[in-house]
Amino acid sequence: MIEVKNVSKKYGKFYAVRDISFTIKEGEIVGFLGRNGAGKSTTMNMITGFIEPTEGTIIVNGYDVDRKPKKVKESIGYMPEGTPLYYDLTVKEFISYMAELKLVPKKERKTAVQKAIAETGLEKVQNKLTKNLSRGYKQRVSMAGAIVGDPKILILDEPTVGLDPKQVIEIRELIKSFRKNHTVILSSHILSEVSQVCEKVIIIDKGEIVAVDTPDNLEKDTSKNAILRLTVEDENDKFETIKEAISTIKNIKFVKTNDDKSKEYIIETDSNEDIRKDMFSKCAEIGVVILEMKKDTASLEDAFIKLVEDRPEHSEKEIEKIEYQKELEELRKEVEDKKEEKEFKKQAKKEEKARKKAKKEEKKASKAAQKENDEKGGDK
Amino acid sequence: MLAILKKEFKSYLLSPIGYIFVGLFLLMFSIFFLVTIFNYSVINFEYLFYNGATILTFITPVLTMRMFSEERRNGTEQLILTSPRGITSVVLGKFFAAALIMLITEAFTLIFYAILKYFGEPSFVVALSTLGGFFLLSLAYISFGMFASSLTENQIIACVITIGVFIVMWFLPLNSALEPFSLINMFDNFPKGIISVTEIITFVTFTILFILLTIVVLQRRKSVK
Repeated sequence: MIEVKNVSKKYGKFYAVRDISFTIKEGEIVGFLGRNGAGKSTTMNMITGFIEPTEGTIIVNGYDVDRKPKKVKESIGYMPEGTPLYYDLTVKEFISYMAELKLVPKKERKTAVQKAIAETGLEKVQNKLTKNLSRGYKQRVSMAGAIVGDPKILILDEPTVGLDPKQVIEIRELIKSFRKNHTVILSSHILSEVSQVCEKVIIIDKGEIVAVDTPDNLEKDTSKNAILRLTVEDENDKFETIKEAISTIKNIKFVKTNDDKSKEYIIETDSNEDIRKDMFSKCAEIGVVILEMKKDTASLEDAFIKLVEDRPEHSEKEIEKIEYQKELEELRKEVEDKKEEKEFKKQAKKEEKARKKAKKEEKKASKAAQKENDEKGGDK
Repeated sequence: MLAILKKEFKSYLLSPIGYIFVGLFLLMFSIFFLVTIFNYSVINFEYLFYNGATILTFITPVLTMRMFSEERRNGTEQLILTSPRGITSVVLGKFFAAALIMLITEAFTLIFYAILKYFGEPSFVVALSTLGGFFLLSLAYISFGMFASSLTENQIIACVITIGVFIVMWFLPLNSALEPFSLINMFDNFPKGIISVTEIITFVTFTILFILLTIVVLQRRKSVK
């Protein structure tokens, strides 16, 4: 449905997006995850044809965005960041203008507008001016503008930003309901949202794709080391010896002693194996009473932070290095070119001089010959 | 194009801008009516338009400065430019909406004709040629104003560029080399009842040129922004 191939967007020397590639299948709900300024909006804007990539191709619904922008735009409903609306129009007028812009035929326009209004729950405010609406409603109007006319692809840029929790849930439910007959791309920096709504996550950082996977897989990948949180009653200070009894324990970290003299520990293991049973029996053996034991599961948040922070910082430095070398090479070439030019000019000058000398000599010779002739004539 | 024209036209009427424009335009014309026709006791409708270019200089930006700057500032530009409508139809839609407002406003000046008609026999043909020429001149001004608006997201800057260039236009006749390019000089023939093809072609070319430049600017920005 959407194919992004080796796309980069450059502003001067700065890469907003650098050589990204991914595909999105029909009917998928995909989340773009990244910190502010990671390149989420830029990528979305390039898919919609609002900005042109510096390099690479984007194919939407079988058409190249660059060559057949009209065909591509017909199949996309876009909700831009910051929910821009025409404030002098009412909700209904705005949505019907969007329908008109999207070439919804006149006959179907009314029903399409009503459908979009109903789907986004805007019936009560449909005759109000958009400027008088609350933020949540504005967001919905913007979303209605995107879904009117049933485009196959919906691109939603931070659809839940700035909403209250109830509205966030409502909008999420709405997005989930699109699953049946739309392909949806949404961007967010809220991780729980992406893990709840999306089937696939694309994590972007500093303009590059860091990971593409399902939220579950991403969580699994990061939870290679399981973590146990324990609260124990350990009067004889024997708990730390458990490390010898269970081989997979990598690290035992003491956290604090509670008021009731129970102690809290965090245990890290080497593998993702569940050691709770072992822990229970071994603790019983050494006379340690477990009051509380909890297995920490890595969340998508951990996955995200791990992916983004684990990324070697050298990539940028490397880029600088490469660019520096390129510049050096160019300079070298320039210098060489200049040298060559100089030499060429020198040679040309020399040749010219030689030629002039030759000419002069020739002239001298001819003059001398004439003189001789004249003298000879005079003699006669 | 029609969808955008309709919406833009409606926007002019929904916001105060349309009314301010019509009001200012007629106010200035009334003043000229008072100063020229009343004071000199003539019944020449075309005399009103000898200062037409001055009025256009200050009044055109009211109509044009927000055309693209506002869309850019509010982000609504993203809505129109990601719709299947092409940039050309967006630009033409906006241009013709402004032209329509201008046409309606100029039609109001026929009131002055009616007043003169009551007192005497002003020439209708000359009045028509004056109005026609003035409309062509105002189209040229609108297209330039629109172009200025596409250059910046700040309406004030768009307005200053527009007025600045129009004021420069006043001084073109002072230099003999530049005189032939003065749109204002060219307009001066219409109130005399002279309709020449050269002038009409110049006005239309100027208009088309700046419409095209607006399209180019918007297209270019796709790869720059």
